[in-house]
Parts: sequence; structure tokens; C-alpha cells
Amino acid sequence: MTTDVLAAVIAAVLVVIAAVSGFDLVRRPSFRRLAFRNALRRKNEALLVVVGSLFGTAIVTSAFVVGDTLNSSIRDEARTRLGPIDEVVLVHHTSGLAEALAKVGTPPLPGVDGVMPMVTAPAAVSSLPTGNEQRYVEPDAFVHEIDFDAARRFGHRPADTGLVDAGPTPTGSEAVIGADLARQLHVGPGDQIVIFAFGQHHRFRVRALVPRVGIAGYHPTYAVEAQVVFVAPGTLDRMAAAVPAGAQLPEGRVLVSNTGGVFDSTNAASALNVHVRTAGLPGVEVVSEKQGTLDFAERQGSNFAELFGLTGGFIVIAGVLLLVNIFVMLAEERTHELGVLRALGLKRNHLVRTFGLEGNLYAITAAIAGSVAGIGVARVIVTVTERIFSEGDRGARLRFAVTPSSVAAGFAIGLAISLVTVWLTSMRIGRINVIRAIRNAPEVRRRFQPLWGLVVGGAGLLAGSQMFVSGAQDHEAVLALAGAAIGLWSAVPLLEPFVSWRLAVTLPCAVLLVFTAAAPSLLPETFDEAGVEAFFLQGVVLVATAVVLAVTNDDQFRWVVDRLSAAGRGVAARLGLANPLAKRVRTGLLLGMYALIVFVLVFMIVFASVFQAQAPQVAAETSAGYDLRVDSNAGNPVTREQLSAQRDVVAVAPLVQALAKFETPNSTDSFQRRFTGFDESLLSRGVPKLTSRAPTFASDDAAWRAVLASPALTIVPSDFLSGGNGPSTSTTKVGDHLVLVDPASGGRHDLTVAGVAGDLDPAENGAMVGARAVPTFVDRSVSNRFYVAVRDPARADAVATRLQADLLSNGVEADTFRSLVDDRLRGTTAFIRLLQGFLALGLVIGIAGLGVVMVRVVRERRREIGMLRAMGFRARTVRAAFLLEASFIAVQGIVIGAVLGLVTSYSVLSSSKTLGDRELAFHVPWLALGALAAATLGASLLAVLWPATQASRIRPAAALRLAD
Amino acid sequence: MVRTESPLLVARGVRKTYRSQADDVEALKGIDLDIHAGELVMVMGPSGNGKTTMLNCLSGLDDIDAGHVLVDGIDLHRVSDARRTDHRARRMGFVFQSFNLIPVFSAAENVELPLLVIGTPARAARRRALQMLDRVGLRERATHRPAELSGGEQQRVAIARALVAEPAIVWADEPTGNLDSQTAEAILEVLFDVHRSGHTLVIVTHDRAIGTRGTRLVEVRDGRIVADGRPR
Repeated sequence: MTTDVLAAVIAAVLVVIAAVSGFDLVRRPSFRRLAFRNALRRKNEALLVVVGSLFGTAIVTSAFVVGDTLNSSIRDEARTRLGPIDEVVLVHHTSGLAEALAKVGTPPLPGVDGVMPMVTAPAAVSSLPTGNEQRYVEPDAFVHEIDFDAARRFGHRPADTGLVDAGPTPTGSEAVIGADLARQLHVGPGDQIVIFAFGQHHRFRVRALVPRVGIAGYHPTYAVEAQVVFVAPGTLDRMAAAVPAGAQLPEGRVLVSNTGGVFDSTNAASALNVHVRTAGLPGVEVVSEKQGTLDFAERQGSNFAELFGLTGGFIVIAGVLLLVNIFVMLAEERTHELGVLRALGLKRNHLVRTFGLEGNLYAITAAIAGSVAGIGVARVIVTVTERIFSEGDRGARLRFAVTPSSVAAGFAIGLAISLVTVWLTSMRIGRINVIRAIRNAPEVRRRFQPLWGLVVGGAGLLAGSQMFVSGAQDHEAVLALAGAAIGLWSAVPLLEPFVSWRLAVTLPCAVLLVFTAAAPSLLPETFDEAGVEAFFLQGVVLVATAVVLAVTNDDQFRWVVDRLSAAGRGVAARLGLANPLAKRVRTGLLLGMYALIVFVLVFMIVFASVFQAQAPQVAAETSAGYDLRVDSNAGNPVTREQLSAQRDVVAVAPLVQALAKFETPNSTDSFQRRFTGFDESLLSRGVPKLTSRAPTFASDDAAWRAVLASPALTIVPSDFLSGGNGPSTSTTKVGDHLVLVDPASGGRHDLTVAGVAGDLDPAENGAMVGARAVPTFVDRSVSNRFYVAVRDPARADAVATRLQADLLSNGVEADTFRSLVDDRLRGTTAFIRLLQGFLALGLVIGIAGLGVVMVRVVRERRREIGMLRAMGFRARTVRAAFLLEASFIAVQGIVIGAVLGLVTSYSVLSSSKTLGDRELAFHVPWLALGALAAATLGASLLAVLWPATQASRIRPAAALRLAD
Repeated sequence: MVRTESPLLVARGVRKTYRSQADDVEALKGIDLDIHAGELVMVMGPSGNGKTTMLNCLSGLDDIDAGHVLVDGIDLHRVSDARRTDHRARRMGFVFQSFNLIPVFSAAENVELPLLVIGTPARAARRRALQMLDRVGLRERATHRPAELSGGEQQRVAIARALVAEPAIVWADEPTGNLDSQTAEAILEVLFDVHRSGHTLVIVTHDRAIGTRGTRLVEVRDGRIVADGRPR
């Protein structure tokens, strides 16, 4: 269902309900009076209803606000990293900068209101300690040369450039440094710093600091912080007079400002591209920085809103179950009153409308409160997310942002969910039997009329079967699952005339349960391509079916109680179990809340654990027999010879890195992605393991050697073309055809995927190609990455530390493969934990819901409690009975959720390729599961302790006096 | 009335006041009463004059503000709630106007509850419960839940429940208040039969026709016992 259709449905629902309620408010004073007075009669009860109803709105609103925040935060990079810069014309060699500037600037392009040159080079920068001070180093800094006066005029708003207070252009050995770098190096104005680039190092004196804003914050990576130094024009060319082999030369950039402000400037990238290509400038590429950033922001915002929205879907369902429960209880409490109203002449639809009107009051109040609560929930999520993001390369400082449209959308969706729930529940309530209601006798379960059962069941079975077959044939997991569920549930009314109710329910539900849990194994091709929504549906169907199965067969627990009773014990157990076994709808709704959330949490716990457990194996499989990955600054890279000469280093494999755009026959990609060239030495100690390879290759080694030999082949990580943060998604398969596009020349090269190397890519090499092919693909590459083998792998960490210290001027960063894998997994598992935290809110709903229900149950059973106390039941027995009742529900919910979570995760891990080709070994994280179960049960008992204690304190005379 | 054996229940100077924010209502203003084993005591009086409060206070269901209530020599209001509750479980049975059966239990399960409370094994409790239901004429309705029984049947189940643990005293508060006259008469016959079998019964009623059918009539007005003797 598209967003527009969903919005239209929500709007239609709201309009219908508003119309009916509006009419009743104005024209039906008796309905109005009943609704308002009932709502206000017991304020605490009303408060419980509102609290129970607000969760759904809070979750939906929080999902939107998280999206807003992501969007706003990334958009803010347009201000902090770009300011007036809209496009950048990258000139690979500074010698061509003047010509490029002239051709880009004259004649001025429509929509462009400024151009200015900049020279940039990567460098390592350190502080210059005196005495015993510590030396601080930034291995990945950028040195810029610009004319400060021209820069301040660039874009017409000097404040956007970040250089207003920077003074004149640096001269001689002056440096103006970014505030982020100053913080990193612990330096300020007047201090000395050292820049290491092109095999040289020079001292500079810090004259001023500039904020991370606009041109002062510009750097050509996506790092959060701007580690930048501005030096006197000409400095870099002088330093680069004797460039070491493999180093990246200083680059020229023509910064382009378009008309308009920072966020609403025009997009001149296409015109600029055409202009540059027409001018025939060699080694020049146009980078649409501003639009790329804004597009990325948009995509990330909506990705996160969708991800949290889907996860929140489970919580919303839990909230709806609670809401239904509360309303059914509310109605049961008023059954007598409703019966009298019916006897007085109110029609069924009058009851529905009166109850619905009252529900509207709760729903509107809850939607308002939920919207506000949702902003709070989002704030917590953002804080945790920020911590997770700060660990990755593409980190982001999150700016908490709330747009009115998001809050309005959360309010509207939450209100619609509440209103639909309330009105559907009201319709069910309206079907009371007048006499039974007046006598306070329970409603009798309606059996399906045989004819109706045949018609409804038959139609459902046919429709479900059709959907299932279509889904299985077309590999549509959602359709297949929904079809199986509809078909088998429809079998219940078909079976009922022939067998007992228990058997009629148990048989189809058991079949559906087994099928749904094993669906990824039974229909592997269908589930290989399944999206998150299929697993969402799988979870809902599994839990709903298991809960129905459980409540239908719950009375089997009676034998436990009977055994206890036979031994002269178990009075509290008998009391505690009697009500959940008798009130199956209520028990089912509570069980559903618990089981659903525990199911998803267990699923995530298993996956987080499985991911963590694979770290040593992944490290071994990706290292190709080496121990360290060594990176160094592109402007002053360490050489193979330097590394080979280091103590304890026994082998070195050089890698060549470059950036390019990659396209598939079906899509173009706006991002530049890294690709890496390797030579024979990478394959000399073993090869990185492939999770899949083309059948023409007998071994992984054969595939790697084929790629080394052929410029038409590549090996990629399975999520190579995925974009953004969050869990990786499989995007590339063996045999896929990719087109590598040189961003400078636009030259295109066809590549076929010969193998897929998992989805973690801990070394962050991107696509792997033969090193000799790299210069033929792109104009520019850098040899600053190496795989290093050490004498004693057990001491690899110590060697890495020593290399960083000894090769500080090269900005060396050495990491063991295990630490690289851990870093990558940390991001994945932290993200799963974030979602777990979000889901824990659902658990809070379940636990709070149980508490709310038990508070109402105590009120409902006041007379019973009084009688029990009169008969001689001790206070502690009454309390124990209520605690046992809650435990019975909580334990069942936990067990159902945990078992389903384990079975489903096993099924997904063992058969589906949804998580890529990687073989993930299933194991049960008993400790984490035990902690989850204990915490859930403990919290449930705590939530119920108060109402249970209140129940035990009810004085029999008071309770019976009320009754009589 | 002179009796030689010591009374089953002795109440002296029992006072009870209901306190609320609006005002205090003194429901019992010094009740003195002895009840001997085997008596059928009818407590009578107009509505709102303290009959039910007296029953609640003398049975230990409610606290008192002053005085003593001794049952089997135990001062009910000087012992802990747990002990009082245990005593109630073993020595008292209750029948109320509203039946107060546990709706999710069957008739047999309701009747056996008091036995289970005092630790009778389940089988023995069930056997005894069925005997009691047989005695009140509901053996065949043992598996029915309260909602499936008529008002009279529910009250008979309540009586069976009150008697099943062989209590020393059975308290009945307006036991026929919710029943039609024919059913009420049948219930009374059950209760009188219970008395004839040797049980001590205290029945609260506002109906003079019922009140005069006991062995002793206690009249309560305005929180005080204004008459105590053989009914006339």
C-alpha cells in the first residue's frame, strides 16, 4: 500500500468517525451526556485508558521524528561542510587549475554566482610539544590554500563561509586551522604545528582558529569533523616538488556557488558538467556536493523512518492489543449498565456510538499526549544513535529536529489507530445479549452457523490458497505467508461442525505454526528476496497463531493445579489460574502483547550474538594470511620498502586505492565508491574467502587469480552497492554486471562479478580488481594501503602500535583484522541494540499493560476477594493468587515469544539468503535469553505487586458491603 | 434465658463507627451478646440500623472500635489478621444475599474451596463437596458454573459452601433477599434443616415473618440491641 493510499484511508476513517461523532455531539444530547459523564466519572480509570492508548501514537511519532533528525543532521552538513559551495570542479593536477577556473567562470553559467580556486592536499599534522608534553597527531588532515578575501566574498554572505574572523590569507609559515583540528592537536593561536606531506615536514605557527562552517569546514571526505589547515598559497606546490611514489599530488578545486542560499540554491551541476566536458578539460570532474548531501539526507531520513516505523509496527500492535483489552474490560465492567440502556430502548448502533464517543475523548487525549511522548522517545533514540554513528566513518553529529508535519502525521496515525480500535471494540460490545447483560451473566461463545461456516470458511480457504500459490510462484513472501494464514484460519469454521472446537482450532493453527516458522526453509527462493515486511508479517502470524493455540489448550494446565491440590497445596495456584483460563480473550490479548515483543527481541538477540560470534572466523577469512591492515596518509604514504624494513614484519602486500562511480544495468549511482587493486603478493599467503563464486572457478584461489589476470572481472562485498547506515542489505551477486565510471573522464569499463566476499568488508576495500587495471580505469589512484604479516601473530597488536609510532610522519594507522572486524560488527550489533532498546519500549507497554489490567481486575473482583477473605483465605494467599495469575500470563508470553524467536531465527539462518551468502552458525545465547526472561518476568511481577497487594488488603466487610 | 454451658460467642461493648469526610456514623453503640451452640439466632431490624454491621463485626469480617468478641475463647479483634482469618476458615461459614460465588469456578469447585483453604486434600475435598451439593439437592449441577444456575440454586451452592467445613457458626446475611418467595422458602427450609442437624446459625433479616422462625430473636435498632429473647 502506498503512502498516499494509506493517508487517504486514514483521512477517510477520521472523516467518517468525526462526522458520526459530530452529529451525535450536537444532535444526541443523551449520548453526549453518557459519554462525557462516564469518561469523567472515574478519573483514575480514564487516566489508565489514556496511558494505554498513547503508546501507539508515541511510537509512530518517534519514528517520524528520528527521520526528521537524520534528515536535518545530514542537511546541516550543507551548512557546516559546504556553506556557499554547491559544486566542486575537481582538477587532478594543480597545473590545470587556472585553465579550469577560467573556463568554468567565463562566460558565467546561468544560476552560478561565484567561482573561486582552492588547492588541497592530504597530510598528517601533529602538534610540536615542548619539554615533556605529549605529541598529538591527526593522520588524516587536509591542507588548503585559498585567498581569504576572495573566499569571504564567495556566495555573497560572508557569514556562511566561516572565514569572517580569520583575518588575511596566511603568509610564510602562518597557518589558520579548523577548530576540530585544534581540539585534536591540543593547540591554539601561537602554537607550533608540523605538517607531514610529500616526504617532507614543515613547521607552521597557528595564527587563528576557524569554525567548522562553510569553506572553513570544507573537506573532501564525509568525516564528521573538519581536520583542515589553511596555509599560504604556493606552499603545497613547493612541498610537492619531489613527490614520493604512490603519493597523491595536490589537487586543484574550483568551488562553485549557485544563486540562492545555503539550503535553497539552484542546482547547476548538469550545466556545469556539460560545460566542463565541452571545454575538453583533462583530469577534471564535477562533484555535485550540495545536492549529493541533500539527497543523502533525504534518503537516510526516510530509511530510518521506515526502519523504525517497521520495528515500531510490532509495538503499535502491542499497543492496539492493550487498547482493545482495556476497552473490553471497560465494557465488561459496564455490562449491566449497557444492558439496562438496551432495555430502555437504545439500539445496538446507539450503544456503539455512545461508547465510541467516549472512546473518542480518550483517543484524542491519548493522541495529543502520545505525540508529545513520541518526541521524548525520539530524543532518547537520537542520543543512542549518535553514539553508534560516532563509531563509524560516515559519522554524524545529530541535530535533534522535529517538524510540525511529522508530529501531525504521528498524531493523525495514532489517532486513527486508536479510533479504529475503539470503534471496532465498541461494535463488538454493542452485540451484548440484553438479558445476560442485566443479569451480569457471561456472554456465550457464538458458534459459527454451519452454513455460514461453510461459506466464510470456504471463501477464505479458496482466497488463501490462491494467494499462497501466487506468492510461492512469484516469490512474493508476503503474499505466500498471508495466503497460508488466511487459508488455514478459514479452515476453523469449516472443521467446527465436524469436530470439537479445540480440535477445529488446534489442527489448522498447528499446521500454520509449523509452516510459518519453517517457511524460509520450505520456500527458500521466495524468502531469499524477502524484505523486512515479510519477516514482520511472519512474526505477527506466528505469534497470533501460537497465542490462539495456547489459549485454546490452556486448560491443560489444570492437571498441574489438580496435582498440587491433591497434595493439599495449590489453592493460590487454583485461584490464580482460574481467571486466565476462563477469560480467554483477555488472556490472549495479554499473551499476544508479551509474545510479540519477546519474539522480536529474541530474534534480535540471536542475530546480535551470531554476528559477534563470527568475528574470529571473519577476521581469519578476510586477512588472506596477513595480520595487519596498514593505511597511511595519501599525501605522504609509507612505502612497501619502509614497511618491509620494520622489525617483526615478514611480508607486505601493497594495495592501490581509487574512487569511481558504479552502475548496474538497472541503476545509476550518485556516490563515488572505493575500489582496490591488488597484486600477486595478496594471494601469496592464502586468499580472502569468498562466500560465493562463479561456477567456472574451482576454488576461491582460482577466482582471485582470474580477477588479477582480467580487467573485466571483480570481486565485491555483497552489500557493495547499498547506501547509508543501518543493517547491510545484499545488493550484488555473482554474475552481476557492473559499469565502473571514471568520475574525471566519464570513461566506462564493464566488470563482471566473479565472486562475492561476504558483506562485512572489514578492510573497507570495496570492489577488488587487479592492480594493473586500476590506471586504465581511472585517472587518479593512491598506493597508501598495505596488508602486513608479522613474525608473531599473537603480538600483532603490539606491532601495530609500534608501526604507528615509528611511522608517525606518514600518518600510519595499523589495525589487526580482528579489530577491524570488531569495529564493523560493533556498528551492526550496536544498531541491533538500538532497535532492541526501541522494542524494549514495547515490552514496557506489555508490562505496564499487565499492571493496568491487573489494577482493573482487582476492582472487578472486589466482591470475590471479599468472599474469599470471608471464607478464610489469608491476605498472602490472595496476593499470591494475583501474582501467580500475572506470572502465568507473563511466563507463557515469554516462552511463546522465545521459542518462536529461536525457531524462526534458526530457520532464517539455516536456509534463507536474506542475510547474504555468508554461513552464519546458529547458536542459542542462553545468558542473554535468560536475562531477558528474568528481567521481563521480574518487571511484570513488580508491575503487578501493587495491585496484588491492594487486593490482599481489601477488607472483606468493605468488599461485601459494596456487593450487598 | 439461663444456660449452663459456656457460650460459643461472647460480645461485650462492641462499638463501630464509619468515618467519612462528610460525617461519622456510629453504626454499633455497644453491643453485648452471647450465642450458644445449636442456636438459630434471628437478627432483625429495619434497614440501615446496624444488623449487617453487627454480623460483620461479630464474625471478624470487620474491625471494631471498642469492645471484645470472643469465639471459642479467642478474642477475634485482639489477634492478628492471619490468625483471625484461619479461625474464620475453620469455625465459620457465610451466606450472603448476593450469593458471592466465584464465577469462574463450577458449583463443586466453589463448595470445595473452604476445605482446600484448611488443607484438605483435593480428592477428599471434592468428595465432601459433592456430598454437600447432594444435601442441598444440586448433585447433578456440580459441574455448572454460577452463571448457569438460577438464583435459588446459586444460594443453595452458597449454603453448601458455608457448611462444607463443618463450621461452628454459620452467618447468613439476608439469605433470601434476592429470591422470590417460593425459592426463598425453599432456601429457608435448607437453612432450618442445617440448624436441625446441630449447626449454630445467625440469620440477619428485615423480614418479620422469617425473624420469628428462629429459636431466638435479637432486634437491633439504631445500633443497639433493643430486644433479645424467644420470638413471639
